Amino acid sequence: MSPMKLCVPGDKLCSVEDCIPGTGVYLRHGYIYSSLAGYVLKKNEGEELPVISVVRETEAQLLPDVGAIVTCKVTSINPRFAKVHILYVGSTPLKDRFRGTIRKEDVRATEKDKVETYKSFRPGDIVLAKVISLGDVQSNYLLTTAENELGVVVAHSESGAQMVPISWCEMQCPQTHVKEFRKVARVQPEYLQA
Amino acid sequence: MAGLELLSDQGYRLDGRKATELRKVQARMGVFAQADGSAYLEQGNTKALAVVYGPHEMRGSRSRARHDRAVINCQYSMATFSTAERKRRPHGDRKSTEMSLHLKQTFEAAVMTQLYPRSQIDIYVKILQSDGGNYSVCVNAATLAVIDAGIPMRDYVCACTVGFVDETPLADLCYAEESGGVSSLALALLPRGGQIALLQMDARLHQDHLEALIEAAMTACKGVSKVLDQVVRQHLQEASVNSAE
Repeated sequence: MSPMKLCVPGDKLCSVEDCIPGTGVYLRHGYIYSSLAGYVLKKNEGEELPVISVVRETEAQLLPDVGAIVTCKVTSINPRFAKVHILYVGSTPLKDRFRGTIRKEDVRATEKDKVETYKSFRPGDIVLAKVISLGDVQSNYLLTTAENELGVVVAHSESGAQMVPISWCEMQCPQTHVKEFRKVARVQPEYLQA
Repeated sequence: MAGLELLSDQGYRLDGRKATELRKVQARMGVFAQADGSAYLEQGNTKALAVVYGPHEMRGSRSRARHDRAVINCQYSMATFSTAERKRRPHGDRKSTEMSLHLKQTFEAAVMTQLYPRSQIDIYVKILQSDGGNYSVCVNAATLAVIDAGIPMRDYVCACTVGFVDETPLADLCYAEESGGVSSLALALLPRGGQIALLQMDARLHQDHLEALIEAAMTACKGVSKVLDQVVRQHLQEASVNSAE
């Protein structure tokens, strides 16, 4: 691979007519400047102008953005909502935990008023959710699990064993065979064993 | 004039420098593994350590969170052993609070906070040895720490303290010159575009001298930026060599 060019914040990279700005750069007076200390990466995507971005070896902190799928852990539940700690954004682990809330009406898409949070989540569950709002002054990130692919992924039964999903609303403990209620995420087809 | 000659007839200062000469700058980035970004900088005998955490979720009162940008939280403190006499109150006194506020204003001008809404960036700077130009050394150290943390910035922020003696601007004042009754001015500059992030002076200066003093400060800041640039590039190259192994 050809040696990539080093750049520091404030370096003028090129004009906006030559490239499209990507991450780690900013626009000023029709020129693209670097905003990070790292290596310049130029990617050609189709017949449009190449995308120029600056990358570092260690990725900087990623923030959950609206519409992103996040992996979180339930910390407490309440008849009105469940509080979670956001651990991963997509597949990138976060260095610091962000706090989120899943409201009762955002747990599932149908029969929203008949939801019982105790039958959807329990503290300690790992949940896949989507960010719907960054929140305002009073609240944290607002998340939703109202889709088939969102919901509980890993849960432990009251006896401590990891449970197996059997339907969209039930999981079963392999040791005691007790069924517990959860809002389960649809398992991806490649993980299903015939 | 003071008994001590701040500028001799041949043009030499107390420590043997010329009027426009800066002190020796030595710096290292990535000194702490636990923090997101850190840097250690020495400018002559003044030594400062800067540590950056973030961007992370707002701590404390969430009402202070801005919906469209990150909040920068700075804390400036001096080690108790940093001055000639043991410092009784390292933080919380009026000087430290004022310095923290100035640092915050300086970095809000340079860091691209709009990329991180509703989050917080913490910058902590500690002076380990104080020999004049405290604010400038803090800004330079914090710039390196922010770059080390990978937080996007428009440009470097370089700062320098300058003073006016005998119709001559002196660049990069040391403690003896600062306390010798020199009108000192601190300037924080974004060198590429020549934009001033912060200008501070609380002494008396004739307005005819102001332009010359600001010019001298900007030249000194550009000199500092060249040194910081070298430090950053060297650190990047060392990091790439380490990751290639």
